[in-house]
Amino acid sequence: MRSSSWLWKVVGLTSLVCLLVMLLGFGWALKDTWMPKEGLALPEASAPEKASAGDISSKKELYVTALGDSLTKGTGDSTGEGYVSRAIDGLSKRMDKPVYLVNNMAISGLRADQLVAKLDEKGFVNAIAKADIVLLTIGGNDLFQVAQNGGSLVEGGDLSPEAMKERLPEVETRLKEVLAKIRKTNPNARIVYVGLYNAFFDLQDMRETVSDTVAEWNAFAYRLALADGNAKVIPTYDLFEFDLKKYLSSDHFHPNAQGYERISDRIVEALQ
Amino acid sequence: MVNLLALIRNETTKVWKKKRFAVVVLILLILIPIFVYAQMKIAQNSADKFNEDWRSELQSRITDNTNALSSNRIPEEWKQWRKALVQQLQYYLDHDINPQTPNAVTFTRTFMDNAVSLFIPLMVLAIASDLVSSERSTGTIKMLLTRPVRRWRILFSKLATLTLYVSLILVVTVLLCYAISGLVFGYAGWGEPVFVGFHIRGADVDTANVHAITQGVYLLMQSGLIWFSAMVVAIIALMVSVLVRSTAASFVTMMATIIAGTILANMASSWKSAKYLFNVNLELSGYLRGTPPPIEGMSLGFSLAVLGIWAAAALIVSFTVFTKQDILN
Repeated sequence: MRSSSWLWKVVGLTSLVCLLVMLLGFGWALKDTWMPKEGLALPEASAPEKASAGDISSKKELYVTALGDSLTKGTGDSTGEGYVSRAIDGLSKRMDKPVYLVNNMAISGLRADQLVAKLDEKGFVNAIAKADIVLLTIGGNDLFQVAQNGGSLVEGGDLSPEAMKERLPEVETRLKEVLAKIRKTNPNARIVYVGLYNAFFDLQDMRETVSDTVAEWNAFAYRLALADGNAKVIPTYDLFEFDLKKYLSSDHFHPNAQGYERISDRIVEALQ
Repeated sequence: MVNLLALIRNETTKVWKKKRFAVVVLILLILIPIFVYAQMKIAQNSADKFNEDWRSELQSRITDNTNALSSNRIPEEWKQWRKALVQQLQYYLDHDINPQTPNAVTFTRTFMDNAVSLFIPLMVLAIASDLVSSERSTGTIKMLLTRPVRRWRILFSKLATLTLYVSLILVVTVLLCYAISGLVFGYAGWGEPVFVGFHIRGADVDTANVHAITQGVYLLMQSGLIWFSAMVVAIIALMVSVLVRSTAASFVTMMATIIAGTILANMASSWKSAKYLFNVNLELSGYLRGTPPPIEGMSLGFSLAVLGIWAAAALIVSFTVFTKQDILN
């Protein structure tokens, strides 16, 4: 009986204290939910990292940030790598130094005007500021968006080459804004814009008109890159033209694994 | 009064000597290290991927969830859940706060959040389920009821004992979790800020009332809420234990109900009236965290009311049946 009395005292008292603590927590939770007070002052966070100035070839390690639409995300690549990780692996091998991906912030279906808005978000600002190289694809969804239903081609709409041509000047100003914002966030990064290609080259009635618009677009992007001084446009239109089936995925719009491989090869060539 | 205290003392030592609580602690001692190990692997993996830059990791989560939103195959309610999550994560990023600092307190609060729907109820049931029915199956109920003590006092003492043990289980779970995960993640983290006060309106998150509290306070409030839902489970289990003769039957009944609740919570968004069932309302700590409730229209007040009514009804049934029923064999 002695041991049981001792046991009761310990267990009883301990669990009573526990009960009181739990009741306190419960009451506090109710009070905080229904009558919230001023929260505590936030501590000063360590500043996000910034890329150092200097040339790509002279740095010990490189940081890459990727943004844009489904092409950058790697849609259509059965290996899931896309051109971004391939280009990073390739660069790392060629330049013989570690190349890190800060983040791939590509979002499927993103349009240039949406990207302009996103570039103000803190996550984008942090990642771009940290990068030595910014990989970018944008504009495809703006241009190839179908006039009638607003959905993208992949969703099965009809493309009107005339509407596409009409839209070109407006989308060009958006691209200009995108590049200007990236440059403002990071004055030193090498911006790499991956150009557009004509995914409808095999359709006779589309070939000329669409290719024409795509060429005009790529030329505009090149002029922007020239004006910037530290930006590059990677041409892709010639990669796919006569081998659409071989290098495009089954949705007939995005590249497949081999297609992405070819894009990434070009990026590595252009950057090393 | 002395009489009642003696009864509670009797019940408490009885549960202890039946080693019910020891089983609970043993389960915790086996399971927590497993979860700690798994969490450690995840942490290592993401540290490799993101070079220990939490901002990149957070942005990556935001991007992933945003990308998932564009998929047509995802059900609408999951999209709402993701939309709310994206806005919350964005809020953390905008305020330069890491929502998942790697330390023992973060691990404990994540563990408790995940434990509220199944794990904690299971451990509560280990004690609650046979509180009355075991007296029946072993025949000791006759001894108990032939004593010159009023029957409601006996049941009340069992209820009080249950309350004590539920509190003990919760505190011990938190402490063990903290002690074991601290070996790997370090014992710091009590003062790290956490945001509370997100209000979910459909797919939008209202951040007007959002304020920061320390992680320690968060853990206390969270445990308090989990304690409440654990108490409701315990009270309903007590009722089942009064109504059902065998311990196994009462345990299985309760466990099935709890599991049904977690399944319903995942798929019941189209069956709106399911929100009046107690088992879809158990995840009280989700309101603190600001995750969208399983069914639209649920709030902390609503869930507390539903749980309270269920518990009150269970108490009325238990006491009426226990004081009136005949003991036949």
